Amino acid sequence: MPALPEYKTRVLLENHGVPMVPAIFCQKIPIDLPEPVVFLKAQIPGATSRAALGLVRKASTTDEITNGLNELLEAKNCQGVLIAQAVDIKKEYYAACLLDFGDGENLAGGVLLLSTEGGSGIEARTDSLHKIRFSLLNPPSTSDIKKQISDLPNLNDVADFLQKMITTFIDYKLTVLEINPMAVLQDDSLLAVDCRAEFEQQAVSKKNSELFELPETTSGNKTNLEILVEAINADDPAGTGFFRSSREIAPEAAIKVATNLCGGGGKMLWEMAIGGRKDIFPLNESDTSGGLSGFKSYRILRAIMSQPDAQVLILTGSGMAFQNQYHLASAVWKALRESSTPLPCLLRFGGTDQEKAINLIKTVDEQLPVQVKTFEPEIFPNAMVEHLAEIATEQRVKQNFSPPAGELAFELKTPPARFIYHPDKNPDFKEPVCIKHCPTKYLMWENNRITANPDAKCIGCLVCETVSLLNGNGELTIELDLPGEVL
Amino acid sequence: MAGILKYLCNIDIPKVLVFGITGRQGKSRSRLMRGFGTHIVAGTTPGKGGMEVDDTPVYSTAAEAVAAHPEINSAVFFVPAAAIAQAAFDAMDAGIKFLVLTADGVATHDSIKIKEKAFETGAKCLGPNTVGMLDTDGYLFGLIGGKSSWAKKNYLPGKVGVISRSGGLSQLLASFHCRPFLPGPKSDGSFGPLWGKDYPGLSAVLCVGGDPVPGITLLDAAKAFEADPRTKIMVIYAETGTTQENDLAKAIKNGKITKPVVVFLGGKFTEAGVSQSHAGAMIRNKNETYLAKKEALLSAGVTVVDRPDSVFAATAELLR
Repeated sequence: MPALPEYKTRVLLENHGVPMVPAIFCQKIPIDLPEPVVFLKAQIPGATSRAALGLVRKASTTDEITNGLNELLEAKNCQGVLIAQAVDIKKEYYAACLLDFGDGENLAGGVLLLSTEGGSGIEARTDSLHKIRFSLLNPPSTSDIKKQISDLPNLNDVADFLQKMITTFIDYKLTVLEINPMAVLQDDSLLAVDCRAEFEQQAVSKKNSELFELPETTSGNKTNLEILVEAINADDPAGTGFFRSSREIAPEAAIKVATNLCGGGGKMLWEMAIGGRKDIFPLNESDTSGGLSGFKSYRILRAIMSQPDAQVLILTGSGMAFQNQYHLASAVWKALRESSTPLPCLLRFGGTDQEKAINLIKTVDEQLPVQVKTFEPEIFPNAMVEHLAEIATEQRVKQNFSPPAGELAFELKTPPARFIYHPDKNPDFKEPVCIKHCPTKYLMWENNRITANPDAKCIGCLVCETVSLLNGNGELTIELDLPGEVL
Repeated sequence: MAGILKYLCNIDIPKVLVFGITGRQGKSRSRLMRGFGTHIVAGTTPGKGGMEVDDTPVYSTAAEAVAAHPEINSAVFFVPAAAIAQAAFDAMDAGIKFLVLTADGVATHDSIKIKEKAFETGAKCLGPNTVGMLDTDGYLFGLIGGKSSWAKKNYLPGKVGVISRSGGLSQLLASFHCRPFLPGPKSDGSFGPLWGKDYPGLSAVLCVGGDPVPGITLLDAAKAFEADPRTKIMVIYAETGTTQENDLAKAIKNGKITKPVVVFLGGKFTEAGVSQSHAGAMIRNKNETYLAKKEALLSAGVTVVDRPDSVFAATAELLR
């Protein structure tokens, strides 16, 4: 889960009235330095044990503040420094809100953990914790909480503090919210001294997106291909398009495999097929599912094929996809035609139109620049992998592809595509065969030109281009841009 | 013969309200569902009341749809993940008792709230992140099959009840049990047809979804198949993460599930704490590992396989 640094978590809590220790956040040394004594706290998302790592320092003089800021602002992944006023603490509590996913006996909900002995060594003191389960749908009131912690001094203030904390947790749909320490000051008032939060990206609402936006340094040093696939998802959001490069180093003798796994089931089958094997190394994880279009399948395939160390591509889903397999096969064929370094492939098609998909690849087999084997869904990945060695290539095939020149028939914004008509392939101005094969009647033949039907929608299936190349004379091609460099 | 919904939520014949029926997914999946035999009564999309989609009336709210068609007892949702919680609340407030939530990427907070609301109202929610369910009695919810002709060809009546945490594997495990002469590895080590032209067939398939907090769990689904007289054996795709398999094993041990169960258990090589493409497969504690689940299931007498093609051989063996 992405982690919010303290300075951002403070904003969430302040918005819900949780009292916080006075502090300022800075990304350079402020002109007006606060009065010492202060604590300087480097803001690094996800960082734990900051004090032990020297990322939290007490500064008792102005010079110490300046010197400390100079050093901490240079720390790796540091987004800035929080300068927090030192406070005189009488007692430290630890408070955290978490999600409980439930089980056969307990309904899922939230859990509040409260320790009156601070947070140090909390893992070993679970028995002494107050553990209060709460509903996300009907959150507890202050008086509900009071009943659960009736043994504590300063009961009203503590319950009010915790109720505001729970409201923060629920309103922002956080997965973790921790306040450590929650300080009881000499006058018995309460303050959150330090805090952190974790969240799910999908839980962030549009209105809060700025608050949860994290700088690039916190997203784990993404590879160029990961960034490229994210950009594909951004301009064509329908369907899942997940790609992650392996961070491990491939054993030298292993076959390096680029994987296009269609869905979580496909991924699981693949893992069961190669888990524990040292002779096969998957270069990436992937998930292309959820009814994505042929356009998107093609663009992600280009990214997957673009991994320079890859020797072979394996494409498999669970074997019974609801994504039309003919559309997927069209995307594979297009990627093999247009990639400058196409990969040999093991392809398993299963689901709607699987026979058409397999037939398409078999029909074009002789034109393909690389060896391709297709499999029926009854052959599972654990059997497919036995064919990897025979088609893996040491030297990638190289080819030059440049899109054939033609007239722009029309352009789509989402998913982004240019439909190119080639009049030279249609000297008699007959209606091209692709028109009648368009499954949504989006393509029309009007005034000797290919046009788009304003009352229909393109589903990005690629059938028109495939049919045009296979059954027609190549009258229509589609140009699909990639938001970055690929091979 | 009643379908599985009779035993899951006491619905004899589902009469369906489609949320998001005016969208691309809503339209195309409604055609799939209707083509398979599902009785779609109405659709709903905020602000689109008064429209018709394929002759189906559209209402702006669930309450309006149910007021006009009191026979509505179930709903399927083709709405974005961010809108699913409110839509599900509206459905449950309107008295709908069976909900199929297809959206992927639903915030866990929302899944939990939906589950709480379902508990309060007595509704049952399949999903989120599910391809839906299909009953060979003649109805389906969601996306299973892709096209109705394909679904009719591949899902045929019989005696296997399929439950799965994966959409693709729901479809695969269900359809392959309906294929005559299905090839596979046999118990004697040879490879060949596992059965003849009389395939085992399917009673129903329920995809509980790949999220960490599913509405209907593996155990809830297994209890329904236990009560369903058509179902002679249950075939389950299970995996790491959540306590669903552990809860199922406990129920089998306690005699609450007595029919034979085959589990294809995924995640043998899944590492703890690592995100998976099924959000629910992430291992969060020692009870959620592959080994812990395998041990729990085996000790309950479940047949556990870790190769997909072994599932069908196990079914054939247990039905023999």
